[in-house]
Amino acid sequence: MRVLHLLINGDRVTVAAPEHWTLLEVLRYELGLTGSKQGCDKGDCGACTVLVDGKPVLACLTLAALCEERAVTTIEGLLPAHVKSGGSGPDPVQAAFDECGALQCGFCQPGMMLSARALLDRNACPTRTEIQDALAGNLCRCTGYTQIVEAVELAVAKHCGVAPRRPGSARPRGRSRPPPRRA
Amino acid sequence: MSTNEPTGAPLAPNQDPKAQEKPRKTRKIKTTKDVNGVPQEIEIEVEDVDGPRWGERKDLKVLNTELRRVDGPVKVTGRARYTHDVRLPGMVYARLLCCPYPSAEVTIDVQDALKLPGVEAAIVLETKTRFLGQPIAVVAGRTSDHADDALRALKVTYKPLPWAVDRAQALAEGAPNVRKNGNKGKPGQNGDRAEAEAAIAAAPAKLEATYSVPVQHHASLETHGVVIDYRGGEEATVYISTQWTFAAVGQVAELLGLKANQVTAIVEHMGGGFGSKFDLGSEGAVACRVAKELKKPVHLMLRRPDEFVMAGNRSGNRVTYKAGMNADGTLAGLVANAEKFGGLGDGSMARPPYVYSAGKTYSEVVAVYTNTDSNRAMRAPGHPQASFGMEAVLDELAYQLGLDLLEVRKANLKDKVWHRQLERVAKEIGWFEHPHRTKPGPNSGGKELGIGFGISTWGGGGSGGTECDVQLAKDGSVTVSVGTQDLGTGSRTLVTAIVAEEFGLQLGDVVARIGNSRLPSATGSGGSTTTGSLSPAVKDAAWNARNAFAEHLAPILKTEAALVRFAGGKVFSQANPNAAMTWKQACATLRDAGLNAHGKWDKDRAAALMGNGVHGAQAAKVEVDTLTGRVRVLEMVGIQDCGLPINRTAVRSQLNGGMVQSLSYALFEERVIDPVLGLALNANFEDYKLAGPSEIPKMTSIIDDDDQRSATIGMAEPAIVPGHSAIANAVHNACGARVRDLPLTPDKVLAALGRIA
Repeated sequence: MRVLHLLINGDRVTVAAPEHWTLLEVLRYELGLTGSKQGCDKGDCGACTVLVDGKPVLACLTLAALCEERAVTTIEGLLPAHVKSGGSGPDPVQAAFDECGALQCGFCQPGMMLSARALLDRNACPTRTEIQDALAGNLCRCTGYTQIVEAVELAVAKHCGVAPRRPGSARPRGRSRPPPRRA
Repeated sequence: MSTNEPTGAPLAPNQDPKAQEKPRKTRKIKTTKDVNGVPQEIEIEVEDVDGPRWGERKDLKVLNTELRRVDGPVKVTGRARYTHDVRLPGMVYARLLCCPYPSAEVTIDVQDALKLPGVEAAIVLETKTRFLGQPIAVVAGRTSDHADDALRALKVTYKPLPWAVDRAQALAEGAPNVRKNGNKGKPGQNGDRAEAEAAIAAAPAKLEATYSVPVQHHASLETHGVVIDYRGGEEATVYISTQWTFAAVGQVAELLGLKANQVTAIVEHMGGGFGSKFDLGSEGAVACRVAKELKKPVHLMLRRPDEFVMAGNRSGNRVTYKAGMNADGTLAGLVANAEKFGGLGDGSMARPPYVYSAGKTYSEVVAVYTNTDSNRAMRAPGHPQASFGMEAVLDELAYQLGLDLLEVRKANLKDKVWHRQLERVAKEIGWFEHPHRTKPGPNSGGKELGIGFGISTWGGGGSGGTECDVQLAKDGSVTVSVGTQDLGTGSRTLVTAIVAEEFGLQLGDVVARIGNSRLPSATGSGGSTTTGSLSPAVKDAAWNARNAFAEHLAPILKTEAALVRFAGGKVFSQANPNAAMTWKQACATLRDAGLNAHGKWDKDRAAALMGNGVHGAQAAKVEVDTLTGRVRVLEMVGIQDCGLPINRTAVRSQLNGGMVQSLSYALFEERVIDPVLGLALNANFEDYKLAGPSEIPKMTSIIDDDDQRSATIGMAEPAIVPGHSAIANAVHNACGARVRDLPLTPDKVLAALGRIA
């Protein structure tokens, strides 16, 4: 066992966990933060994606011990962080996912939304291809991704003060490439 | 739960709304109306209905609009609790050990595992296995880590037995018997073979070819699993990722030695099912066994590799078609010999010629058994398999005769709904400007564009067994309660919307309670039957509540109940619309207990609310790199009818999701088992490839509003039926490469190009 000093969603947390536990295990099994989903345990599905120092990270492949003194944001922390920074209500990404019906079962959405949040933090006005690339590590079996991409475009459009594209009007130019995401 | 096994294409009903319309009955009510303070006698004509109706589309304020999901906020903030997320005091985590061989004698020594700290149980489940992935032991520990330790400490000796995991092994001479009566099922035959063969022989264009599709996995993002909360005593709760809240109750009760009324099933949110999650499952039964032994809550969620080998699949199949086409494009005859590969299960195959009329037809469908996990229902069982070969046969014969692919389809489709749907998708995707409408494009060495089509059908009607309560509280809040489950399709939003519409309220004014077996009963969500089963029951309860509330309000509004109207958050008499009460004021007149009404799916009343039989057409545009064999889908267009759409956003999401699932089936998905070693080679999301965000093409999902039936119909299944067929046809259309075996990997495309003379 090891005592970990973590910074989760702005809160300092001290927790004892086995040395080899991943961030996902600590979040889900010690801290009760079950919003980060456990879909494959090997970094293939992206449902466990969280932000570490603002970068998207697969929590199931990241040792919790390596996250000490680093800022971890989970899906539970997105709304409070938005409110703390002067916003009202949910993060614009969350609001857009809700508005566009960018979810069905909802199991992949926490990871999907955190990947999107990380993208918008580093690139406020991404193209559709850049959105697709940023989400490439997140699998969804229900929605066919279309309304998810539309939701991110809506969040972008609202941020940039322009009207979003009409559904189905954009021709994607995306190519498969693995996401740059290994912690 | 039935698997909704289709025996053939459901008959498409006539969509002409006039054919459905009954003459409107009206009666006149005498009442008084204040005109400038002077009461005057007037007559108002009201519709005299004998039960609930959806009403005119133009009058609907909530239904048939783009609704936000009522579970949106809880899901986007991560607060939605799935079975995987349930945490209970004293809970142990259980893990299964699945047999890595297709068939084996197994000896397991659990003693070392039981000695480890934190390990609470280690139980042998099987000593002789019949399928690859069969659970052979279960362990449980205080944490998932302790359970993993226990798994590693099991001393297991395998003695592999002869197996058959693929067609060649199953049908080889001297093959081991997979099932007691051999490795082939009883063939289902239809039609007259000699007649069909003669018709084909006389036709100007002929074809004989074999088409096959691989085994596909459901790949729900949440794996199968349960949390059994049993601590001894007389009651238990089962949290379960299921498509049928009520199915697990009886099974859990029996396994724990309880009565059904002592068990509660909870399905707050569940992470997808697609047909694979109907009952407690072997994993749930094992969890009950551990809970009964330990008298502690047990958390057993399948790990992803186990999910792949033991939680079901869509059966693969292989069909040899002989077909002949007349000069006008109509099929003269068809002979289909189909084999289904459903592992220990019987597999699925809609009867050829699927949706088409094919002249004289004969079909023979047989199951071939292997030592692999049994297939389960998967979104439109049997339909994608049947679609693939039939759509290909049509194109291949059309090219022989130099006919337009769109016209050939219309020539063989009796139901005209498909004709207009085909025209629509053809127009959207640019078919009429496409250069290769009667013959494939060239194998140029460069990139070529092609277009393909596919047709779908399904039933989508509901059945009895669903009941519903609607409660109006004195403070104006409204609750609708039914034990149904939301797989992600949006049933929670559906029940909310129906009640909001009835009372002229907004979605946010109504709260839906679902996913609990203590609520009124509901059927399982399979075969797109949820909408047809749920919506009439909810509408019935809402209608009863409205009538009761109108009776209550009539004396207060000094009018007759038949004249009480609910609209725009107001309540008023049709005679005096200006003297309206707000919804809250109206509810404040209720007694303290509020108003409760009950409704149910009643055959006669549901007949006026629900339909059956849907049509869909899809088109795909692809780019084939004839140098590398790589296929990119550029665009997909789908159109689907579904009677009265309840939530247009949800319908569109079903279409998008179905089309991308079929794209994934076309290009990537395939279960691979090494026949010599008997090992599952891609039981993970790294090697079993699903389409990701980068692979999605331009998507156009069209709700067919020419369908004006005033009836709700489920439409989830057909969205997945024809997309892969359209993509394979588009590849052929682009460059002449006919790949008759999915998925359309670059090697197969190159091999097909190499076969072109």
